[in-house]
Amino acid sequence: MKKLTTIAIGSASALAIASFVTHADDNTLRVGVIGPTSGVFSFFGEQQRMGVELAMEEIGDQVAGYDLEVTFYDSQGDPEVTVDRLRAMDSRDDVDIVVGPVLGSTGLAGLEWAGGSGMPTVISYSAPEDITMRDRVDNVVRAGWTGAQPMFAFGEYVAEELGHEDIVMVGQDYSFPYDQLGGFMRGFCAAGGNSVERIWHPLDTADYSSILATLPDGDAVMYNGAGSDGIAFFQQYHDFGIDQRMPLIGGSNFFAVGDLPEMGEQAKGGVSALQYAEGLETDNFIAFRDAFWDMHGEDTMPLAPAEHGYVALKMAVNAVEEAESLDREPVIAALRDTEMEDAPRGPFHLDEYGNPVQNIYINEVKEVDGRLVNVPIETYEEVSQFGPYDPEEYMASDSYSRDFPPDDCSDDFYQQ
Amino acid sequence: MKRETFVILGIVAGLILWLLLAGDYAIARSNRAMIYALLALSFSLLAGRLGWFSLCQTTLAGVSGYVIAILGAQQGLPYAVVIPAAILTSVAFAAAFGVLTMRAKAVSFLMLTLALGQMVWALSFQWVGLTGGYNGISGVRLPMVLGFNLNDPRIFYVMLATCTVLIFLGVHRLYRSRFGLLLLGIQENEQRMRALGHPVYLARFTAFVLAGAIAGVAGVFLVYDMGIMSPSPLSLSQAVLVLTAAVLGGYRTIWGPALGAVILISLQTGVAQYTDRHMMVIGLVLALCILLMPRGLSEFPWTSLLRGRKASTAST
Repeated sequence: MKKLTTIAIGSASALAIASFVTHADDNTLRVGVIGPTSGVFSFFGEQQRMGVELAMEEIGDQVAGYDLEVTFYDSQGDPEVTVDRLRAMDSRDDVDIVVGPVLGSTGLAGLEWAGGSGMPTVISYSAPEDITMRDRVDNVVRAGWTGAQPMFAFGEYVAEELGHEDIVMVGQDYSFPYDQLGGFMRGFCAAGGNSVERIWHPLDTADYSSILATLPDGDAVMYNGAGSDGIAFFQQYHDFGIDQRMPLIGGSNFFAVGDLPEMGEQAKGGVSALQYAEGLETDNFIAFRDAFWDMHGEDTMPLAPAEHGYVALKMAVNAVEEAESLDREPVIAALRDTEMEDAPRGPFHLDEYGNPVQNIYINEVKEVDGRLVNVPIETYEEVSQFGPYDPEEYMASDSYSRDFPPDDCSDDFYQQ
Repeated sequence: MKRETFVILGIVAGLILWLLLAGDYAIARSNRAMIYALLALSFSLLAGRLGWFSLCQTTLAGVSGYVIAILGAQQGLPYAVVIPAAILTSVAFAAAFGVLTMRAKAVSFLMLTLALGQMVWALSFQWVGLTGGYNGISGVRLPMVLGFNLNDPRIFYVMLATCTVLIFLGVHRLYRSRFGLLLLGIQENEQRMRALGHPVYLARFTAFVLAGAIAGVAGVFLVYDMGIMSPSPLSLSQAVLVLTAAVLGGYRTIWGPALGAVILISLQTGVAQYTDRHMMVIGLVLALCILLMPRGLSEFPWTSLLRGRKASTAST
C-alpha cells in the first residue's frame, strides 16, 4: 500500500514538470496560432501555417515596440484538443491574441472557450455562421467567411446569368454544406430560380452509382461538397455521361485547386463562388502569391486558408499597433474596427458583428500557364455575411439544416 | 483497516497540495486526467474482473454528455434534473448493451461493444436535429453557486477530485466484497461458479451496468470541462486512449487505471509542447512499457527490483 502513495507523489511531480510554466515577459506580443497540422484535415492547417509564416516574415520581430513571438499549436482537427490547446495558450504560455481555429467544429469550440476567457481571437478559415451571428461574443472576430456568404451571389449568378431554374443538388451530409446550400437558395430564389432538389450522402462515400442512376432531371447539378468525395463524384458523373445532359457546378470548395489535376481537362469551365480566387490578377494578390511562392516553392498554390491565416495575423498585429498596448479591451476594440484595403483577396472591413464584408468572386476553372486555376469571371462587391438581408431578420430565422430552407422557391420563406 | 485510512489520507493530502501548488494549466490537465482515470476505471472493472474488453465505455460517457448538452444547454432544464438524467441515461444504455452482450465471450464481446459504440457515434454525427452533428452543441456551462463560479478550473478540480476519490474507493471496496470475488471467479471458471449456484449472468450484467454508471459520471464532468459536446469523445480513438491508459497502468489493480491516465495525459501534455509528432513519441514509450511490463506499471515487481532481487512474475 505504501507503493500507492509513492506512485501518487511520483506521478504528481511528473505532471508538475510536464506543465512547466513559462514566465510572462511584458514586452512581448505573443500570438498563438491554432490549426490542424496533423490528422485528416492537416492540409488546411498547413495552408494556414504557411500563410502565417509569410505574414511573420513581412512583419518582422517588432510590433509597436513589442517583440513579436508566434507559436503554432496543433488542434488535430478535434474540438476537445482545441479547447485544451487554447487553455494552454491562456494559462501556461501567456498568449495575448489567438489566430484560428480553422475547421467548423473546432471554431465553435474555440468560440465557446473564448467567450468564457475573454481572449482576443481572430478566427481564420472556420465558417459556421453563428460564430459571428447568433452566438457572437465581443472578443471574437473573423478574418474569413461564413458558409452561406459566397453562395448568395452564386445563387443569383446561376439563376440570372446561367439561366438555370431547377437545380439538383448532391451534397455531403453535414453542417457546412447545409450553410452553403442555405445561402445559395436565398440568392437563387430571389433571382428567379424555381426549385432545388436535394440529395444528401454520408461523408466518405466512394460510390455514387445509386445516386447517379436515379438522378432527377433539372437544368444543372450542383455538387455541394469537396475533397475525395468531390473527386469521386466528379469522375463518376462524367463516366455516366450525365455531363452531356446537365452541366455540373460546385459548392465553394468543389473545384479546389489541389483537386483540379485529378479532375483533369473536364473540369475546365466549372463554376463556383468564393471570397478568394487563386486566378486573381490584382497587384496585391500577385505580390502575395509571388512572396508565398518564394517562401514555400512554386508547387504550393496559396489557397483561401493560407490567405485567411496571413490576413488574420496582420489583423492581430494591426490591432496592437492601433491600441499601442496589449490590454485586451483596446486590442478587441481595434480588432473590431479592422479595415483592410490591401488584403490579397481584395479590400474588406468587418461588419458590426465581426465578419468581413468583402468581394465574392464567381470563379471559372481555366488553364493559366499550364495549370488549372479558378479565375474570377464576375465580382460581387461588399457582400456581408447576411447577403442583401437585414441582419436582425436573418438571425431571427432558423439555422440552416438538412431540409431548411424549403426546396421550393414559391414557399412563403422566400416571399419576405 | 488503519493502513487503508492512511493511504486515503495521503492521497487526499496529495490532491490538496497539488491544488495549492500547480498552475492553472496543470490543474486543467489534472481535471482531464481524472476524467480519463474514471473512464479507465470503468473499463478496468470489466477487463480486470471479467476479462471483458469493452470499447464502448467512452460511448456511454458520450451519451451522458449529450443528455447534459441537450437538456441543460438547449432546453435549459435545472441542473438537479439534468445531471441525474444524464447518469440514468448512461445506465439505461448500459443495461440495453448489457442484455445484448451478456452471453458474449472475450473477442465477440469486444466486437459487439465496438459495433454498438460505433453505431452511437455514427448516430451522433448524422442525427443533426438532435445532436447538432459535426458542429456539436455549445454553451454547456455550470452555474454560479453561492458566488462560486463552478466552471473555474480549481473549483471544478475540487468537485471532480472528490467524486473521483469516492468512486475509486467504492470500486476498491467492491473488488474486495463477495461480489467482486464472484466476478473474479466467473472469469476464472464460469462453469464452476454456475455449478455452485451463483447467478452468473446477473452478476455480469450488474457489473456492466455499474461500469456504465461510472462512465456516465465521467461523461458529465467531460462535457462540463469542454463546454461543448461534439461526436469526438465518442470516436474510436478515444476508446483506444482509455484502453491504452488501463493497459499501461494495469487494469487488474485499483490504482492502475488512475496511474495509466495520469501518465498518458502527462506524456501528451509534455511532449505536445515540443513537437507536433507527439503521438509517435507516446507510441514508442507505450510500446516499450508494454513490452517490458505486460501486466502494466502497477503490477510490475518494483520492490524486488529495488532490493536487487530477481524479478518474479507477480500473481493476481
